[in-house]
Amino acid sequence: MKILIIEDEQGLRDNIVSYLNEDGNICESCNDLAGAISKLASYSYDCVLLDIGLPDGEGFAVLNFLKKQMKEESVLIISARNSLDDKVRGLNTGADDYLTKPFHLAELKARVDAIFRRKAAHSNNKLVFNEIVIDLLGREVEVNNESIVLTRKEYDMLLYFIANKGKVISKNAIAEHLWGDEMDMHDNFDFIYTHIKNLRKKLLDASANDYLKSVYGIGYKFSAT
Amino acid sequence: MKLSAHYNKASIIVSVTVLLAGAVIYFFAINYIARNQLDRDLDEEIGELFEYINTHHQLPKPVDFDEDQTTFVKTDHKVVTRFFDTTYKNPKEQKSENGRAVEGSVALNGVTYKFTIVISREGTEYLIQIIAIITLILMVSLVLILFLTNRYVLNGLWQPFYKLLNQLKGFNVSEQSEHHLLLTKVDEFKELDQAIEMMSLRVRDDFQNLKEFTENASHEMMTPLAVITSKLDTLIQDETLKPEQFEQINDIYGATSKLSRLNQSLLLLVKIENNLIDDAELLDLKDLLTEKFRQFQELIQSKDLNLNANLISRKITISKHLIDILLNNLISNAIRHNTHGGELSITLFDDKLSIQNTGIANALNAERMFDRFQKGKRSEGTGLGLTIVKNICKMYGWEVAYSYHESMHTFQIVFETSIVL
Repeated sequence: MKILIIEDEQGLRDNIVSYLNEDGNICESCNDLAGAISKLASYSYDCVLLDIGLPDGEGFAVLNFLKKQMKEESVLIISARNSLDDKVRGLNTGADDYLTKPFHLAELKARVDAIFRRKAAHSNNKLVFNEIVIDLLGREVEVNNESIVLTRKEYDMLLYFIANKGKVISKNAIAEHLWGDEMDMHDNFDFIYTHIKNLRKKLLDASANDYLKSVYGIGYKFSAT
Repeated sequence: MKLSAHYNKASIIVSVTVLLAGAVIYFFAINYIARNQLDRDLDEEIGELFEYINTHHQLPKPVDFDEDQTTFVKTDHKVVTRFFDTTYKNPKEQKSENGRAVEGSVALNGVTYKFTIVISREGTEYLIQIIAIITLILMVSLVLILFLTNRYVLNGLWQPFYKLLNQLKGFNVSEQSEHHLLLTKVDEFKELDQAIEMMSLRVRDDFQNLKEFTENASHEMMTPLAVITSKLDTLIQDETLKPEQFEQINDIYGATSKLSRLNQSLLLLVKIENNLIDDAELLDLKDLLTEKFRQFQELIQSKDLNLNANLISRKITISKHLIDILLNNLISNAIRHNTHGGELSITLFDDKLSIQNTGIANALNAERMFDRFQKGKRSEGTGLGLTIVKNICKMYGWEVAYSYHESMHTFQIVFETSIVL
């Protein structure tokens, strides 16, 4: 997947690039509107991460440019402004999703993957991770060709882990992904453990490999190795 | 006491005093003048008496003088002429009246006689009575006129003032209502009105600036927070870190997400106060609450709470976003401050929503709990949750109240009937 990251905050941009720059992705980045337009005019990308507040203008200009040029890049807006108007405006101008700062890189990765999957849904709606096969339309999971029944949260969690495979994900990020950041968790993530335990048990019962590892004190890692 | 009443009191006291003093002076003056007049009449009588004696060399008969009574008494010494008040028997009407008398001596044929002439004072007294009555009527009507003038004219004059006062009382810094200029011809009120208008504009302006500042400051903080979060997300990929270091990182995560929630709460408050959220739609509270129970299921289970929900279908018009936040805040509070294995009961009536929970065994400070940054000692929240609840309720004209009864903390939201559809 080829991704263009348009973000003026260098610290954030570098981390996004390094986080996404694995898993067969190619990331390019720029820090202003002019650079973004010139890159988009010359190259094609699968996904564009777009910051709204750029030093030389609002990121909405990029959306308008893509629309005018009839380009098919998916756009994920990352904005410091958690305003409904901006969200509506962005989504109406052709953005695929809207993520409010601050966000976890794991969340970003999951959103990017989801956008990509939606785009590719016409040709392929199965997500395969070794022996685990997920039917994205039917929301069904098969392990070694055997169907297993997951709750909604377990299913979401599995997708989230696969999108961030090989990465350590903090409990914080998992909680925010599953319950939303508006629900105040009061830093008590004990109940995440129950869901993880159940998911792991269901996968193991279907004789999948043990991909889920606990990273002491911080979170979990889903990895093939 | 109102200004007009003060004015009324002062003007009535002053005018009554002046009138009373005037009446007293008037009374004495008229009395004095009338007495002088009577004395002159008596003087004339004496002159007539002497003339009669000189002409007729005999004492006059009482009939010779009609109204007056003249008496003669023999005496052996000369009597000094003096005037005095006395009573007088009116022979016609057979009653005694006040009179004015003069006595003196007259010599006739070598005999000295003491004479006394009495004339009636009734005429002058009648005059004084009339004058007193007129004065009294004047006084009463003056007081009445003063009272009525003050009441209607003065009150009318002060009307602009009361209008201004009502506008000031209804002044709300967050409302964009216009200041209505008064139609008055009184310069002082015009000036006051202009001063108030300028002041309210300035206050609104300052308030607007403050809100913009809050909004901008909160937005500006989001990007650094995003940098911190992304750095932490990258940092934890390093599996050579020790568990203690992970714990430190966990704390930073916690603080960062708290800061971000705080920021979002502040922004939300600004938006509510600016009435920037106007995406109200018709929603069924029962469905929303059922959804919330699902959302909070893990939290409720992790505390072993006993959930009692009594819901009826109740449609309201409200922004989905705001009702979500309102219910989130109230329910998460009720869970967070609950005891392990406690009670959580949520009841939806047609006119109100009541959320009850067990918790600490004393009532909370109901007056201050809705203020910003008021929170319990051990609370991990932002301290803005209830302020947001209150502001959302205010926006839709609802009432939110807290009470503590039989070890249950109760939050009640009373919907205003005008919202019912």
